[in-house]
Amino acid sequence: MITNTGNLGPMILQSLAPAMLYVPTPTMNYITVADKISMPANGGTTCRFMRPRALTPPTVQLGNSGIDPAAQVPQRDIIDAQMAFFGTGCILNEQVILQDQEGVLAWVSERLAVSMRQAEDLILRDYVVSAASQINAGGGSNGDNPTNLGISDFSLVSTTLDTNNAFKFMSGIEGTLKFGTGPVRSAYFVLSSTELQSDFDGLVGQGFKSSWDYPSTSSALPSEYGSIFNARILTSSEAPVARGASANGQDVYYNTWFGKQALTHINQDGYSMKLIYRDPMYSGMLAQNATLSVKFAQSQALTQDTGIRNLLCTRLASLGV
Amino acid sequence: MTEYSRGAKGSFVSTGAQKPVYLPFVPNLVKLLNYTASATPAQSGIPRAYWDANMGQGFSIVDLYNATPALITDSVDVNGISTFSAGLSLQYGATKQIIGATKADPIVFNVTAHGYSVGDIVIFEGLYQSATTGMPQISGMPFVITAVDDANNFSINWNGNQSNYTALSGSPTGAFVKKVLYPFLYVPGVSFIEAITTGTTTTIVTTAPHNMVVGQEVAFRITNPWGTYQLNSLPNVALPGSPIYGYIVSVTNSTTVVVNINSTGYTAYNSNQPVASLAGMQLPQMLAVGDVNTGGALITAGSDLYPSPLVNGVRTINGPAINGAFINNTRQGFIVGAGTAVGDAGSVLVGAASDVIYWEAYFIEYTSPY
Repeated sequence: MITNTGNLGPMILQSLAPAMLYVPTPTMNYITVADKISMPANGGTTCRFMRPRALTPPTVQLGNSGIDPAAQVPQRDIIDAQMAFFGTGCILNEQVILQDQEGVLAWVSERLAVSMRQAEDLILRDYVVSAASQINAGGGSNGDNPTNLGISDFSLVSTTLDTNNAFKFMSGIEGTLKFGTGPVRSAYFVLSSTELQSDFDGLVGQGFKSSWDYPSTSSALPSEYGSIFNARILTSSEAPVARGASANGQDVYYNTWFGKQALTHINQDGYSMKLIYRDPMYSGMLAQNATLSVKFAQSQALTQDTGIRNLLCTRLASLGV
Repeated sequence: MTEYSRGAKGSFVSTGAQKPVYLPFVPNLVKLLNYTASATPAQSGIPRAYWDANMGQGFSIVDLYNATPALITDSVDVNGISTFSAGLSLQYGATKQIIGATKADPIVFNVTAHGYSVGDIVIFEGLYQSATTGMPQISGMPFVITAVDDANNFSINWNGNQSNYTALSGSPTGAFVKKVLYPFLYVPGVSFIEAITTGTTTTIVTTAPHNMVVGQEVAFRITNPWGTYQLNSLPNVALPGSPIYGYIVSVTNSTTVVVNINSTGYTAYNSNQPVASLAGMQLPQMLAVGDVNTGGALITAGSDLYPSPLVNGVRTINGPAINGAFINNTRQGFIVGAGTAVGDAGSVLVGAASDVIYWEAYFIEYTSPY
């Protein structure tokens, strides 16, 4: 009789594969486009920004009277943002740390760090949804409000921001003699949903250029899907979507256009992104439990309301799943 | 495991409507004592209530006075005690079919067992009576419920009694309403405009609470069909490129503010938008862009000396801030609902108006079964 694993099986049936599997994680684009400043310690609860207003250009000639014109009164706008604190953590019994085969402290630390970064981005995202004004797409063909994205919507928002004298993030990319590529305009960043990528693909030939068709991809960001006119589009699966919120009950997507300094992320001096490990020695009389935690301080403000717009749209067709 | 458990206690005076209680944690055990109902036993009074997370959201076990009055026990199975963690926006409640809506000012919606309360925020979709009639123009805007006529009817702040609006009837296909679960996570922000009164100052009525304060600097985004586009911050004819902002000089109520812009002679506001221009229709907006304040919220009887900002009438869980600052209003805690005991339709879990309620809330670290 042949001895096989049915009568002489391995005493231990499993072994752990050498590497952990990846954790599906959205790209975090909001922090990328936000200006960053640090609020000093001992500076109160609220960060204050000041933006001077333009003075009237003296376009009327002085004449020959020798009399000075009336003086102007300089004015400024003030923007305040209150600091807030965030944190989360895990309590790990020492038996977990002692007995589990994998490096629990290592991977839980990594997860906490990612959750902290994701919180930072989601807070910015939701703040922008609540604070930035919106333009409904009307250039699409689906008859909804907002419609799906049409090429004219990109022209409209770009025109709006240009007319508002918003600052573009990126200088253009000059054309090169590479087959299929073309120059890229100076651009604002537009943060969109990955669920809209097929709609962007549908605009190829009307103005959409895949990031692969840039003359050089050296300035393309990892999440950059492409560009349309003066917009360079970064996509993420965490981009805001109001499910079933259009006039016809379809999902509404927020495509946020950013000029420079439109959104500012504020951290607190000496209190940002702390990863904290507390040995079991700090718990109870038998010192049984370790803690791993993260905490951070963050605030945010629209610092140039004229340089930001949420372009709302629906999709041309339902998304396959 | 008391080292990792958490507890809190407090009290509130009931208004008769559901009461959110903000906490630094989400509890898994809540106890209520209605001092008023306990001190003056009367039929339908609920002197005590108990909720455990294992009961499920919206339930509660209660002591209840019967007709004698003597204490009996009962349960609240709908709108009892529930917990919440309001950290992400664009979350909605159940989608509910709209049976009908009046062509009136305000519009009254007929929705079977809507379950809404005054102050809830809702959005609408698919408000067509036919392909070219109905009131889909108000889709996409959040509305505060201004009146609850009964369990099946509620009102919102909008003039539907205009030529381009048609009443809804017969449960139109695709006509739905749903509650915005966590409004105002970040304030102040964008508000949608229901009405504008022009004059030496400009009065703005919003569709939902604006959460703005005196001294708030505001901008407008109004496209020509809505009229009063002259309020827009740009273009500026007198000083090209320089945005024109206004300042709030008084707050009439949660949905009405007065702005210091002299709008005499501006085009009248027009919310009578045709259904035919719905596709791509822009919505009129007012947004906060700054403030001119230097101090925090004023103290009130019973408040901290340095109170947190008020958002929709409730203080945030954060500390003091400059009035008009951009603030974070994410929050968590539990809600005492206005549900009734199964065996007594006259009872109300959250008590009657003016009832004094004491509460205890716990997060117990060790539970069995976990």
